[in-house]
Amino acid sequence: MAGAARAAPAWSADELKTLRSLWLGSLGPVPPDPSNRVADDPAAAALGRSLFFDRQLSANGKVSCASCHQPARGFTDASATGRGVGVGARRTMPIAPAVFSPWQFWDGRADSLWAQALGPVENPAEHGFTRTQVARVLAGKHRGPYERLFGPMVDLDDRSRFPLRATPLGDDRARQAWRRMAPADQQAINRIYANFGKTLAAFERTLKVHPARFDRFVAGAIGARGDRGALSADEVAGLRLFIGKAQCSTCHNGPLFSNGGFANTGVPARPGLPRDEGRATGVRTALADPFNCRGPYSDAPKGACEELDYAKVDAAVQTRAYKVPSLRNVGRRAPYMHAGQFASLERVVDHYDRAPRAPAGQSEIRPLGLSTKERRQIVAFLRTLDER
Amino acid sequence: MSTYGYSSPGQLARRRLILGLAALAGAVVAASACARPAGLDLSRDRLSDHGVFRVALSSRATPIPLFRTHSWSVRLTTPRGDPVSGASLAIDGGMPEHHHGLPTSPKVVADSSPGDYVVNGMKFSMPGWWNIRLAITTPEGLSDTITFNVVL
Repeated sequence: MAGAARAAPAWSADELKTLRSLWLGSLGPVPPDPSNRVADDPAAAALGRSLFFDRQLSANGKVSCASCHQPARGFTDASATGRGVGVGARRTMPIAPAVFSPWQFWDGRADSLWAQALGPVENPAEHGFTRTQVARVLAGKHRGPYERLFGPMVDLDDRSRFPLRATPLGDDRARQAWRRMAPADQQAINRIYANFGKTLAAFERTLKVHPARFDRFVAGAIGARGDRGALSADEVAGLRLFIGKAQCSTCHNGPLFSNGGFANTGVPARPGLPRDEGRATGVRTALADPFNCRGPYSDAPKGACEELDYAKVDAAVQTRAYKVPSLRNVGRRAPYMHAGQFASLERVVDHYDRAPRAPAGQSEIRPLGLSTKERRQIVAFLRTLDER
Repeated sequence: MSTYGYSSPGQLARRRLILGLAALAGAVVAASACARPAGLDLSRDRLSDHGVFRVALSSRATPIPLFRTHSWSVRLTTPRGDPVSGASLAIDGGMPEHHHGLPTSPKVVADSSPGDYVVNGMKFSMPGWWNIRLAITTPEGLSDTITFNVVL
């Protein structure tokens, strides 16, 4: 039954409850981030926006956050893995839905947006930069806005105290330079670096998730205010499969089509990339990160770090578990999965239907027994999530 | 319920089977190896598995939220109702139908009054049938377990 539907399909009370839970109108406000005291400060967001697009924050002067997180593409790119100064190991993730997630990166190794922003900048494959260089860019180009938010910056002119390139996470020379620094000076640099991340986070928190055709359809079905729209018969069938036989909404639920958790779905390893344990490593990294919610650069009061305090650490379940991404706008951001392993939505649905064994750990998915028509209908439904 | 896409007798028969199970489970769920039993005990105040304790469990956040951490209260007494203090409670659980555990590692600590405890860091990552299992031990050497069902 292809083609545009005319009659409104009948939904049970339970199904309407499910539809409402998936509707963008059910998305609450951006959650507060007590670890970032400038999270909702417009001046911080303005500085963060300048920094997000500043290509000087890279080893070759050509890479900014926006190089991979391209605004015209929903803040992602079209590559299997990100390309900055070098080629990375991970698919670039969109930003607007991430604002609602307690964990960042495919493996959840950062517990806030601001901690996440610090990773790519010092990653040799991405920006290839160091925190001392970031501090100098801030001092040189953004001193006024920075100091209005965070107070006077330490004087970086003394190269014996503040080397040009120093970080605990860099190449051998940068690490040696970092080790030679006095602890108080290391902390001063770290504090500037954390503040840098916090302004980027403030900007990212202003990015919006936009409604899709699916939302106009649900508005009609539940009798909500606002624009209403129709879905085709195939798209409705795909929606029924999504919340039913195909079990997609097991994890892809809520108004962002993600439960914010992690799952091993048996995605194959990309050849040529280093061995990857996913969340099993990511959670340990987050717990040890000096820039996490409990660390010295966090603004969070005691007791405000529940995600970290009660984070599950269980290698058996978390090996090769990756973040459940939001499916909003999914039709526009091929390729898919944590290293861009699948080129199309058809390939993704094929994977879920066959449910192969995981390369390591235990896959949570089981074969679905979908017909060719059902696979096509699920893909048709997924395209109704494109932001308009 | 519409029958889009189901036209052959084989497909209709399979559809009826799925509908039958859905009626049993009270939701549209595809057949699974651990389907929800009928008549699930949803009570939150009852005796533990070997009758050693009486346990009452309640959420401190109502309605019970999805996707975010929150706390629950445990009231632990003897079957007669005398508060039991100083117990250690270990908590685990999960979703039997989906073969996975709790998404976080909640911890139970004593609250301010005798017999009262708090479970911190609970989180439910999706609607459906959840188990919450408590393993209770007292310094005097009493121990027992109890499993509660929560359907969201």
